[in-house]
Amino acid sequence: MTSYRLQKGGLIDRQSPLGFRFDGKALSGFSGDSLASALLANGQRLVARSFKYHRPRGIQTAGSAEPNALMTIGTGGRTEPNTRATMQELYQGLEAQSQNRWPSLNVDIGALNSLLSPFLGAGFYYKTFMWPGALWEKLYEPFIRKAAGLGKASYEADPDVYEKCWAHCDLLVIGAGPAGLGAALTAGRSGARVILVDEHALAGGSLLAETGSIGGATAAEFARQAIAELESLPNVELLTRTTAFGWYDGNVFGAVQRVQKHVAEPKANVPVERLWRIAAKRALLATGTEERPLVFGGNDIPGVMMAGAARSYLNRYGVAFGKRAAVFTTNDSGYALARDLEAADVELAVIVDSRADTAFVWSGKARLIKGAFVSDAKGGKSLSGITIWKDGKTETLAVDALAVSGGFSPIIHLACHRGGRPVWSDTHSAFLAPEQLNGLSLAGAVNATSGIAACMAEGAARASALLGELGFKVEPATFGAVEGDIAAPSAKAVWSIPGIKGKAFVDFQNDVHRKDLGLAVQEGYGHVELAKRYTTNGMATDQGKLSNVNAIGLLAEARGVSPAEVGTTTFRPFYTPVSFGALTGAYHGDHFQPVRKSPLHDWAAKNGAKFVETGLWYRSSWFSRDGETSWRESVDREVRNVRLNAGLCDVSMLGKIEIVGADAGEFLNRVYSNGFAKLPVGKARYGLMLREDGIVYDDGTTSRIEEKRYFMTTTTAYAAGVMNHLEFCSQALWPNLDVRLSSVTDQWAQMAIAGPKSRTILQAIVDDDISNEAIPFLAAQEVSLFGGQLRGRLFRISFSGELAYELAVPAGYGENVADALMEAGKRHGICAYGVEALSVLRIEKGHVTHNELNGTVVPADLGFGKMVSAAKPDFIGKAMVNREGLIAEDRPQLVGVVPLDPAQAFRTGSHILAKDAAATLENDQGYVTSSCYSPHIGSTIGLALVKRGSTRHGEDVMIWNGLRNEYTPGRLCSPVFFDPANEKLYV
Amino acid sequence: MSEYRLIHRTALSDKQPVDAAGISLTALPEGHVIHVLAEQSADMSATLEGAAAQTHSVRYVAPGQWFIVGDEPLADDAMAALLTRLTPHAAGVDQSHGRVRILARGPMVECVLAKGSGADLALSAFAVGRSTTTLIGHIAAHLTRVEDNAFEIMVLRGFAESLWDDLMRMSAEFAE
Amino acid sequence: MASLVSCPHCGSRPKEEFTVKGAALKRPAPDAGQERWMDYVYLRDNPRGAYDEYWHHTSGCRRWLVVTRDTATHEIAASRDAALDVPETRA
Repeated sequence: MTSYRLQKGGLIDRQSPLGFRFDGKALSGFSGDSLASALLANGQRLVARSFKYHRPRGIQTAGSAEPNALMTIGTGGRTEPNTRATMQELYQGLEAQSQNRWPSLNVDIGALNSLLSPFLGAGFYYKTFMWPGALWEKLYEPFIRKAAGLGKASYEADPDVYEKCWAHCDLLVIGAGPAGLGAALTAGRSGARVILVDEHALAGGSLLAETGSIGGATAAEFARQAIAELESLPNVELLTRTTAFGWYDGNVFGAVQRVQKHVAEPKANVPVERLWRIAAKRALLATGTEERPLVFGGNDIPGVMMAGAARSYLNRYGVAFGKRAAVFTTNDSGYALARDLEAADVELAVIVDSRADTAFVWSGKARLIKGAFVSDAKGGKSLSGITIWKDGKTETLAVDALAVSGGFSPIIHLACHRGGRPVWSDTHSAFLAPEQLNGLSLAGAVNATSGIAACMAEGAARASALLGELGFKVEPATFGAVEGDIAAPSAKAVWSIPGIKGKAFVDFQNDVHRKDLGLAVQEGYGHVELAKRYTTNGMATDQGKLSNVNAIGLLAEARGVSPAEVGTTTFRPFYTPVSFGALTGAYHGDHFQPVRKSPLHDWAAKNGAKFVETGLWYRSSWFSRDGETSWRESVDREVRNVRLNAGLCDVSMLGKIEIVGADAGEFLNRVYSNGFAKLPVGKARYGLMLREDGIVYDDGTTSRIEEKRYFMTTTTAYAAGVMNHLEFCSQALWPNLDVRLSSVTDQWAQMAIAGPKSRTILQAIVDDDISNEAIPFLAAQEVSLFGGQLRGRLFRISFSGELAYELAVPAGYGENVADALMEAGKRHGICAYGVEALSVLRIEKGHVTHNELNGTVVPADLGFGKMVSAAKPDFIGKAMVNREGLIAEDRPQLVGVVPLDPAQAFRTGSHILAKDAAATLENDQGYVTSSCYSPHIGSTIGLALVKRGSTRHGEDVMIWNGLRNEYTPGRLCSPVFFDPANEKLYV
Repeated sequence: MSEYRLIHRTALSDKQPVDAAGISLTALPEGHVIHVLAEQSADMSATLEGAAAQTHSVRYVAPGQWFIVGDEPLADDAMAALLTRLTPHAAGVDQSHGRVRILARGPMVECVLAKGSGADLALSAFAVGRSTTTLIGHIAAHLTRVEDNAFEIMVLRGFAESLWDDLMRMSAEFAE
Repeated sequence: MASLVSCPHCGSRPKEEFTVKGAALKRPAPDAGQERWMDYVYLRDNPRGAYDEYWHHTSGCRRWLVVTRDTATHEIAASRDAALDVPETRA
């Protein structure tokens, strides 16, 4: 019990105690505590075991850079590993578990690794597990995986909801410390739209740990009043508990708001985390600095803490980090803590200042040693003493707490996320943000400005200037006099500390110590990017927030160069870890992707449809009936019935585009390879669309509804693509053609009515005469339905090869019309049929789909050579379709294929070999693009793309499926298995 | 089958409206939606003002494109008359069944829509009467600000149920 | 995570609303010859820096745009309607 709660002070509510558990032990804190401050208040210094050596670790920071105090919070599906105790607000009933220890935090077997540490240095895995290779999968990888990692994720589903949202503002201010508040107040008063984000629960930043005053009010009170003013302004949005984690293109910032991570039981309808994308016209980075640790022996022992953190626990949370403390500093900030410790009656044994020539005038009680270093800290699970090195002589001192300040690194991460490189400043012993950032400025400590007054003034001035660029006129806010602030101007960094005996850590979270970096340089991995990977420095979940600059400094010293020459590794989002929940938002489960429903969906469902996902659509695969035990049974029945009687199939998913304008006909002539100029009103025509490279893109029918109005259908799969393509052609290629497009896919419920009895059935609901004379093959007419109650569009087109129609009616009436057709067709034996039967019918007829239009075929390959107009001066694909390779004689061509033995089957995707050829790649003749069981033929049939296929009808081949080792003797044939003379179409 | 009584099945007939202090969601009547497509640089203002003066509302879509919408279905002759009025410099395409309109209204409506759309819908940036098409989550929709705190959301019929479900989820925290 | 594309008709929008087609090249005349056509269909310069590209505001106004985008930084210098050549009005 060395850290403890002070009798008074802190921004905590001592009237609101909160019970919580750490490793099952019941503890108590106050409202306003972080988990870390509550643990310290309870004297719990040992909170974690380190990653590699399982060394005892304590709380080192009071913020998001915390490398040690990672724990698992929550239970069940709400289990969240690797939560930083310093960022977790305390709530009643919080359950925290330490990690990476067995059987307990206090007695951890893994700590034996510490004894093996001479063998576990950097590159250990690379060197040790190289050989023999066979052992990698069986032994090494499982072993390493078991040893690696910190907390464990839960296998239970997360019960909470997450969401994503957008925000827009004139000025985004990141960080609500002195500079951020100065900026936000200035901007808020201008009337501009302002968003202020801060990662902590309480805005105020470093002011919350200050004992100085501003305009006579305490710093914390000043912050409270500033926040109250900002909250009263309707044009300002203050987002606390919100971490801006990335700067993206277009000045968009990513931020994650922990909406309900601080409550015992989240409200079910409110997200626990919200991912913000903030589009800011201007942004101001006021993120302050990260205090740097110092690299001395035992610098990881519980009880060693950053000086700023110790001050934060003291002043903000009313917690003393020890009973007899020491301060080790390279700059003036250590004196602010020293002063505050003495004011709070915490015993301060010594101040060790690395500067022999420090100008700071210390007037407190504690002994001050100048030009000295703490070379080692002693203790196991808790600090017991330090060794002070000065001019080659050492002195040991019994202390139970040591505060460390190695200077400050501006938190410039976001400023570097879009490719800018940090710039080393010898003046500030720090990396500063790149200059000339488009849309982003910096103010305050992150800009190497020191002192509260200067930071506030700079924030105000920058906000005024940024808003001035947007046309807002606002004077920088001014503030009352600051008193009692010990500013800490930049001081020279100290990388190597003399006299070290123990293990001196650089990266606490990945257990990288000083000698590892030396080894990296020695073994040729001294480049900063190589050293990072060789040692793993900076690769833990904290991404080297505390360690990277020290590592760079040490590498620089080892190589005898400036840190400027070493440079930094690349800063990338995310600044701190972001949960998968927040990144996913609500888009999972039922909301993973939208469902696109046909207007005939419910009609299909009530007729027994089994649905299949086709893109976003749900299409009817087949309609099973009582007694049918397999899908094939249903499909065969549907196919036979369409050929014998009639069937109704939902084809609403076909892309449908209405094309209007004086030049619509000319436009169609240019986007299809075949001629459309002479299509008469009232007629439909099959069209083939090519890409500019001559390859077939899509097919469909287009009908001329009126003189200057056409109705195009596309395949379901390419509906969206064709619309985009047509818009490209009309807007970008031929803007001078008068052609205008409207997607009407959703306007019409469209059904195919196919089969010899389709006309009779249709006539029952269609008022107009639909005889063969009135509506011949390829007619396209508007028709009246149900005695004039409704108008629809009737197309005499056939995919099945039967007498067939497609009827389009306004979507809201689709189900009703389909019901009526089923009712009218009952006595004619009508059935509903799905895409499986549709596919069988079209394969029997030799019609192609995107199985055949596979992105490699030209029209001639499909026997559509005549559909490439030679007469038209221009159409998409004309220039390229007759290139050398595309007219070669041995191109794959569409052909039919059947097994020699009707009892044998083959699969789509099987390859075609010449009859006696060996199954090799060289002998590959093509492949089966579509196949099915054909009730009409009585065996499996297929369509295939086979070299010179059109000239090989009747040739025996081998159908080979190399994946399943299947060989089916077969014969090539005409791709039209059904009614080759098209007699049925014209009846 | 002239005795057969036709029933217009609305796309959102299965959905219960949301009516809370923060946000309300209502499926608007499937009346009429006509997509107006004008010739390049045709001046349609008089025609559109004429339509707006009657029982219709006019929504901007894109350069040379508008929607004429209304809550009442248009009989064939009324539709034909309207389409004729658009000629010769524009054509109309009937989308009355292809588009479904939802009204989202309430003080939290901007917050709800910000969960789906990256468009800046603040009143200062997007005044009453303005329209735009934007992604709401994964679904494209046409938005019109019809009041300070109300938007008409127009979506392809096939996506209407999915969008409704998404809007319900987005509204949940304000609809307790 | 996020990036914006400016549309001359709709303002700045998330890139998810757009479809990019690639280099904005002028389509050759039908009789321009195989070489020109091969260039148009297959060959691209892939410069580092400013590049004119066709972007389609697919989930917005559905207009095709010519967007001048820096391939290294994604900074968008200009965007105009492919047909109307409307000068961009940046928000």
